Amino acid sequence: MNGKKSSETHLSRREFLGLSALGLGISLAGARSASAAPPAASPYDVAILYDPVKCVGCRACQMACKRWNKLPNESTDPLGIYESPRDLSAITWNIIKLRRTAVGWHFFNYQCQHCTDAACVEVCPTGALSHDPMGFVALDREKCNGCGYCTQFCPYGVPHLQIADILTGAAKSAKCTFCQDRLRSGIGGPSCAEACPVGALTWGKRGDLLEKARARVAELQAQGMNARIYGENEAGGLHRLSILLDEPEQYGLPSVPKTPAFARAWQRIIQPLGNVAFGAALAGILGVFLFVRRKIRMEEVR
Amino acid sequence: MTVQLKGRAEAITIQWIPKYTTLERAAHWLHTATFVPLAITGMILYFPFLQPLAQGPAGMTFRLIHRVAAVIFGLLPIVYFIFQPRRLILNIREFLPNKDDIGWLKGAPAYYLLGRHEAMPPQGRFNAGEKMNGLIMIVAWFVFGLTGVPMWFGKGIIPPELFRWLVVFHDLAMIVSVCMFLVHLYLAVAHPLMWAGLVSMRFGVTSAEYAAEHHAKWYYGPKRAMEIWEAKKREAAQKGGH
Ligand code: HEM
Ligand code: SF4
Repeated sequence: MNGKKSSETHLSRREFLGLSALGLGISLAGARSASAAPPAASPYDVAILYDPVKCVGCRACQMACKRWNKLPNESTDPLGIYESPRDLSAITWNIIKLRRTAVGWHFFNYQCQHCTDAACVEVCPTGALSHDPMGFVALDREKCNGCGYCTQFCPYGVPHLQIADILTGAAKSAKCTFCQDRLRSGIGGPSCAEACPVGALTWGKRGDLLEKARARVAELQAQGMNARIYGENEAGGLHRLSILLDEPEQYGLPSVPKTPAFARAWQRIIQPLGNVAFGAALAGILGVFLFVRRKIRMEEVR
Repeated sequence: MTVQLKGRAEAITIQWIPKYTTLERAAHWLHTATFVPLAITGMILYFPFLQPLAQGPAGMTFRLIHRVAAVIFGLLPIVYFIFQPRRLILNIREFLPNKDDIGWLKGAPAYYLLGRHEAMPPQGRFNAGEKMNGLIMIVAWFVFGLTGVPMWFGKGIIPPELFRWLVVFHDLAMIVSVCMFLVHLYLAVAHPLMWAGLVSMRFGVTSAEYAAEHHAKWYYGPKRAMEIWEAKKREAAQKGGH
């Protein structure tokens, strides 16, 4: 051991490069697919358009959703309000609620907004939530592990956990899937829109629906209503477009959904910085280990 | 005790002095035995490339393991506090920063990388590096508990705004504590100067000679430790002189 040349007591160039590669590798191990910018919706995506002025509150959509997706009934407290059940849940993915806006009480349909910049997809650790090539946000219940992050990050409070056990955390997420099975197998469009008898809920190519919505908004404005489109640009563009007659907040919809940006900051800035820290720590420790092994002899240590 | 060291002709005698209680050692190892699975099962949700492990029943099982380990991890310091409150307070007090830490920081590179003993001023029962490890793990324990318990039971009860910050802080605690853990692991098992640390944590004792060398202020008392160190520095300077 005493015969070592002094150059051997330092790290060789090869070792140094190897360590740097290791550090860099770990730093990049968690990196997500390149762009951190939100994607944009395509006019050829499928979408749903909701026109509350046409809605008569018959709830055919709500029933069709339950029926197609085989969702059980839910008992509700009879509170004298024309809302039943009160809100979306793990077994109610589509609901008609009453809203009081500038034009008075009227019906409004709630379901997943099928965001392009979807916070739920961003935070889902399993890939159970994903963007279908057709544009909507699909849910694969087989992959879901019940962590529930989607329920906490969705800006619209859409996904709900079907909890089997609070203690163990066994659960499955549930939400409107745009009737993914109907679309993928070519049976037809989402059952809610197919069931609507008055054309308040319609479905089709997003570009066509936007055109239709613009014409309808102009018509309503001509009648003196403060109409607008919701979902054209919100969260990267929604695949559920709505015509509103008042500020989005009056409908419980955020003017600017903030959670997608928060989710991206967490997943694409904070976590990658953490990985840089892991890479630096591991490469540094290994470098020190190799260096010290030659510099300090165990036999000389007390 | 007599020990035959590799590379030494003569046997040497090591005098052992007590350092940790049995409960402290048991708690330390149980803490390790829960921290590692907690880190691994947590990282399955954290790293996108581990996504296949996070899916379906396997993912649910890892989340369950995280919870079982979290209960033990969370209770250990409380058990320690119940049975040996004075030891716990003594240890925490010795983790608090003081003037010795500046000397440690200055001397650390020459001491740990080159093995220059005279570069390191006398330290107390814990040196600055050990204090940093101790304090970070204590703070991380609080952060893991204060964020993890509401993440477990709070969904649907606490506001989602709060939940989102909790997962982020749970992650930050993980990043910091895992980095600290890696450094701690290396020093404990592979750094030649730190050989007695692992012995202390396994058997509760440390070598008197090691304590005199590494924790002089604890072994000799502050005044005598400084005198010895001044003498050692003078000797090293003389040797370096010619
Ligand atoms: C008191 C102790 C702890 C509790 C109660 C706790 C609880 C939790 C809970 C409830 C989750 C959310 C996933 C789920 O619902 O199953 C979680 C995730 C996680 N935990 Fe813990 N945990 C604790 C300690 C730790 C420790 C010691 C580490 C690492 C060293 C850790 C690392 C993680 C990570 C990385 C995640 C995933 C976060 C993400 O998705 O990025 N946890 N923990
Ligand atoms: S509305 Fe919520 S559940 Fe639907 S895609 Fe957007 S974030 Fe996901």
